[in-house]
Amino acid sequence: MTGPRRPDLDDLLATWARARRLPDAEADRILLAIVPAVPAPSMTWWAEFNDKLSSVITRATAAPLPAFADPW
Amino acid sequence: MTPSGDDTAAFTRIFEQHRHAVHAYFLGRVADPELAADLLQEAFLRVWRRLSEVEARSGDQQRAWIFTVARNLAIDSYRAGATRRATEASLRQAAATGETTVPGPHLAAEHAERLAQLDAAIAELPEEQRVILSMATAGGLTSRQIGEALGEPAGTVRYRLSQARKQLAAALDLEDEP
Repeated sequence: MTGPRRPDLDDLLATWARARRLPDAEADRILLAIVPAVPAPSMTWWAEFNDKLSSVITRATAAPLPAFADPW
Repeated sequence: MTPSGDDTAAFTRIFEQHRHAVHAYFLGRVADPELAADLLQEAFLRVWRRLSEVEARSGDQQRAWIFTVARNLAIDSYRAGATRRATEASLRQAAATGETTVPGPHLAAEHAERLAQLDAAIAELPEEQRVILSMATAGGLTSRQIGEALGEPAGTVRYRLSQARKQLAAALDLEDEP
């Protein structure tokens, strides 16, 4: 019966490499430090969007609704 | 630069594809994990600033572009003295931090001791061998890829890798079976 195999150079190098690799958490930190967050829409964009939305709602509620008429 | 979601996704792909290799290169050059991480961040910051140029290249060409930046950064850092100091400090206190993969307390302790010996032996390698060894093991690159990244023939890379392994095997009294 033989015991567990003693580590050879490849085993040791593989373990060394794993220990030396950049940890994922550190990689994530670097990535976040480099890439700024994609910016949210500006206040101007929101204001224009709200204006358009309001006007659509106003038109829709003020206009007659022929589509709701009884088809029969 | 105002990033779009597409820019962020493209950059993240490039970062994930090359980060291990570039980090392994810096680790081989400076032998200090903290400084290597700083240099990695600076290298990829330059990628980010030239993203459209880098993204337009193929994978091998991207690697070549990034390693040109990395080599220049390493030279600048070395000239600034930070690398030299960190390398010397690291060589002085070379110690293993590796996990053990061999079962059994006696073998685990022996394995840890062997790792410490390996770490010290790697620190003693000539820099050009240490860089190539780090890129091949921690970076996962082939001899051809290392050669392209460093601007050296693949045969030279294989020779240096072989020399490094022989020196490590001798230091650890192991048989080297490449």
